[in-house]
Amino acid sequence: MSDAIGDNLLLDVRDVSIRFGGLCAVNKFSLALPPGALYGLIGPNGAGKTTAFNLLTGVYRPDGGSVYVQGKRVDGLKPHQIAHAGLARTFQNIRLFGELSVLDNVRMGAQMRGWHGLPGTLLRTGRYVKAERGIDRHARQLLDIMGIASREAEQAKNLPYGDQRRLEIARALATEPKVLLLDEPAAGMNPQEKHDLMQLIRLIRDRFRLAILLIEHDMKLVMSICERITVLDHGETIAAGNPSEIQANPKVIEAYLGEPV
Amino acid sequence: MAETAMLRKRMSVSASESPEELRPPAWSFVPRAFAPLLVGTVVAGILYFFVQPAIGGFGSNLLLFAGINIILAVSLTIVNGFTGQFSIGHAGFMALGGYTAAAIVYYGSFKIYGDASFHGGLVSWTGRAGGFRGPLLGSGDLLFVGATVAGGIVAAAAGWLVGLPSLRLRGDYLAIVTLGFGEIVRVVLQGTDEQLRRYDLELIRSTPMLKLMNKLGGALGFIGIPAYSTVFWVYLWVAIMLIVAVRLKHSSYGRALLSIREDEIAAQAVGVNITRYKVRAFVLSSFFAGVAGALYALQIGSINAGELGFQRSFEILIMVVLGGLGSVSGATLAAIILTALPEVLRFVDQYRMIVYSLLLIIMMIVRPQGLFGVREAWDLFRRRRPRGGA
Ligand SMILES: Nc1ncnc2c1ncn2[C@@H]1O[C@H](COP(=O)(O)OP(=O)(O)O)[C@@H](O)[C@H]1O
Ligand SMILES: [Mg+2]
Repeated sequence: MSDAIGDNLLLDVRDVSIRFGGLCAVNKFSLALPPGALYGLIGPNGAGKTTAFNLLTGVYRPDGGSVYVQGKRVDGLKPHQIAHAGLARTFQNIRLFGELSVLDNVRMGAQMRGWHGLPGTLLRTGRYVKAERGIDRHARQLLDIMGIASREAEQAKNLPYGDQRRLEIARALATEPKVLLLDEPAAGMNPQEKHDLMQLIRLIRDRFRLAILLIEHDMKLVMSICERITVLDHGETIAAGNPSEIQANPKVIEAYLGEPV
Repeated sequence: MAETAMLRKRMSVSASESPEELRPPAWSFVPRAFAPLLVGTVVAGILYFFVQPAIGGFGSNLLLFAGINIILAVSLTIVNGFTGQFSIGHAGFMALGGYTAAAIVYYGSFKIYGDASFHGGLVSWTGRAGGFRGPLLGSGDLLFVGATVAGGIVAAAAGWLVGLPSLRLRGDYLAIVTLGFGEIVRVVLQGTDEQLRRYDLELIRSTPMLKLMNKLGGALGFIGIPAYSTVFWVYLWVAIMLIVAVRLKHSSYGRALLSIREDEIAAQAVGVNITRYKVRAFVLSSFFAGVAGALYALQIGSINAGELGFQRSFEILIMVVLGGLGSVSGATLAAIILTALPEVLRFVDQYRMIVYSLLLIIMMIVRPQGLFGVREAWDLFRRRRPRGGA
């Protein structure tokens, strides 16, 4: 295959694998996200979904395979370099900057595209002030969009669970990504909250012209919102296709042991 | 959906392409950059010219050492408090800065003036109040200020050498390496050659400065250094230290440091190069430790590496923890309290250290997060939004 992939693929993952000791946590995982995609990644607990995210974002280094973000090869790069390349994520086990304020959490995301030299910071140059104001404004807008603007002064660790998840999305969006990976963003929410969040996710995709890959346990939800779904089981990709194909796939039904899919 | 329509309407402005109107007028740079420094200079002047003469020798010693300890505690706060790393060799950097500055001033004075006596102006006069006739500043002050900065730079360079390899690694490597570093510095300085004296003047003059840098008196310590470091200079540096730390904390740069302490993986996920930020914080911190060492050596006119070992590092660490990891005002207050406490407790004489330790233990039980936690004194009074970056 030529390397001129992805002229318009935002994320292109090819045959990425990793082993932990004897366990092959993810085996030859492939995926392609065009602009505007809203795809799902599902599978039973321990299937390797989070591990796949960790491979894409550089938390783990793949044993093999390649990852391209906007045509740029990123596998093997450090996580912060991959973030700069345009890949942002949230975490299944929420990782906020707990002692910092809600606003500061989003500012942390927004400053990635900002400017900060140490001398300018200490002397408060015009360039510094302008950059900080831009970061500030950007962060507040995202808090607004996620509906948590009224809580900006609170410490992140004191937010209710659902708001923490929304804050994680706001922080990820603040880095101005091209691709957003959401690891169980609706976990722990009630059905109404879940529904609202999915609407919001769709909106975010449209507004920021992102490609989104979503891990979610609630099958109905995934089926209703995602255009294309990849199913993992024991690290293997057992199916990939649109919701109706996935629903009819015998391997998927087996993996979920007769659960209504 | 009404809400949807509303969201669609809102325009997004990204941080990277912020509109030009956000830029403040160019002239406003000068007051922003230098006003706090001007205030600091005035305060330092008031402390030196008016407060010090009024509080006597005992009081002014406390004032001086409190100032030096503030610089040490706040600089360590940048590493242990902001970035959440664990450095326990701060006295080593202090010793490096102190010896460097001491050697420059001592041997420099011989080379320039032919003797090691005081050639400064009024602001550097450490002797009896009113006992000085002369200008506000002298040529020796230049030597002193230059030596102080040089002490800071040498310490910062050492910080870079120590920090670069150890901060790449996770966990407790920094603690082990800094502990070892502090001890190595002490041992090396105690093994230096005999100090050259007045009667070696010709030898001093003919030896290049760099070669004089290993004639630091060894285990006997480095003595007879002309003293320039007054309350004025110490508090000028305290002001610089506080401005740097507070501005750092309330900026994108400082938030990046805090984010590392909060969660390294999340920090990387939002684009923070954690190794680079850790190393820079460590270098900055080492610089000010070196400056504090210089102020210390040039205040008492001598420096002995034997007194700058692990115990001294530990004292500084206690100040940082007591103040609340990450709190600049907390570290400042803790430095003042812990400088004064042993002196105030003199009346219980032989139980002094016991009472001191007990107070620390009680404090750690009652307020394990330190005086202010990660917050600042002024945050406790304002319940509104936290301070903005700009
Ligand atoms: N760092 C690690 N070391 C060893 N095993 C791991 C590691 N991370 C994940 N695993 C294992 O990989 C498998 C997939 O885990 P994970 O990706 O978290 O599953 P999920 O699909 O529920 O997100 C599990 O069996 C897990 O125990
Ligand atoms: Mg998971």
